[in-house]
Amino acid sequence: MYAALHAVTQFYGSRLVFKGVSLRVEPGQVLLLAGPNGAGKSTLMRLLAGLLLPTQGTVSFGEALQHNRQALAYLGHQSFLYPELTALENLHFWNAWEGGKATRSMCEAVLERVNLLPFADEKVKGFSRGMAQRLTLARVLLQNPLLLLLDEPASGLDTQSSTMLHAEIAAAKQRGAAVVWISHHIAHDIALADAVALLEHKRLAFYGTPAEFATRSTAEPAGGAA
Amino acid sequence: MMRSALTLFQKDIRLLLGRGSGLVQALLLGFLLIFLFSLSADMATPTTAKAAAAIFWMASAFCQVLIFNTLYGYEEGQGQRLGLLLGKTPPQAVWLGKGAAALVALLLVQALLLPAIAVFLRQGFVALWPQAILALVLANLGGVGLGSLLGALSQGQGAKESLLSIILFPLLLPLFLMGIFVFAAAFTGEHTQEVGAWLRLAAAFDGTFLGAAYLLFPYIYTAE
Repeated sequence: MYAALHAVTQFYGSRLVFKGVSLRVEPGQVLLLAGPNGAGKSTLMRLLAGLLLPTQGTVSFGEALQHNRQALAYLGHQSFLYPELTALENLHFWNAWEGGKATRSMCEAVLERVNLLPFADEKVKGFSRGMAQRLTLARVLLQNPLLLLLDEPASGLDTQSSTMLHAEIAAAKQRGAAVVWISHHIAHDIALADAVALLEHKRLAFYGTPAEFATRSTAEPAGGAA
Repeated sequence: MMRSALTLFQKDIRLLLGRGSGLVQALLLGFLLIFLFSLSADMATPTTAKAAAAIFWMASAFCQVLIFNTLYGYEEGQGQRLGLLLGKTPPQAVWLGKGAAALVALLLVQALLLPAIAVFLRQGFVALWPQAILALVLANLGGVGLGSLLGALSQGQGAKESLLSIILFPLLLPLFLMGIFVFAAAFTGEHTQEVGAWLRLAAAFDGTFLGAAYLLFPYIYTAE
């Protein structure tokens, strides 16, 4: 097990986000997180990233994640990028901050994977939203993490970049990394998933395999999830 | 932690010197203060050593606020603060990195303010060089230690300039008093026993400020 939520209930002030959520993230697993806007998907992601403490319940991490500073990577709604630094400088900074020792050639290699190598020495302030999102993905990939937390990673990406994202998620899974992935394109992304968790009506409405999810969706369409 | 702090320090210095805006603003403000005070002095009688020292430390204090606002401003906008809190790097690495970057920036600014003091206020070190340098180091150390903590506190606040100044200046008063006293003594060359006492007092304040800031920083920086 890489990470697990045990009966987690989360409040923002007096507002209940969700209650009694329990799930596990296993090595090599791609867990798709679905649910309508405001269901608490990003909150759950922030709990897994350690950026939030649960109001009730516990979040635990496996041995492999407890002793490795680079084992967990998070791609959220904000890019974490410094506009005045170049793409390479941003990659270098975040890698070094997390204790990594990536060389220039390693940074360039990951930039090539996200099709940004020609822009390696350009300042990020000139990047489009899609380019910034790809650079954020490069930041996460450079870490070579065991657990990838991707909160709507496809937002701002064109079709070609979405294909690249799928390939990177498949590659991460192949090397044994776990991926927790928030997506609003379930029908498109479910092919890569090993498990689906649906947050709805302030609770975990579904947690199972993609096949079970497909059966459930046919019988009872999930509002906004697909 | 030291490696992460060094990484942040290098990034901040690159941004501060490359972009220049924060540093140039601080420098211009410092020069402006010195110049304006020089206008108030009578041409025949130069500004007193104590007044000149007070003007130097006042300019330094305002520059310090500008420098910290600039430094902590780098982590606003794209959620960079959250990024720094991810993983297992202790938050104190931010305090240390920002503090070190501010110290270098402040020393750069002061290195240019001192000649301005000499030109416009007609004061210069004539004696007590080692003590004056020690006073500069002690006042700056305590200042950046506390400034780095309070800069984090005011990060993301609308009126951060006011908030930082309101909290920082009263706390730094003992260090400013020491700086004024020792610099005035160095400008006049009047050796006094009290210089040593002031320096020891400043060292004690530094120890307290640095220790408290180190311990409190994670609570302030990780708070939502």
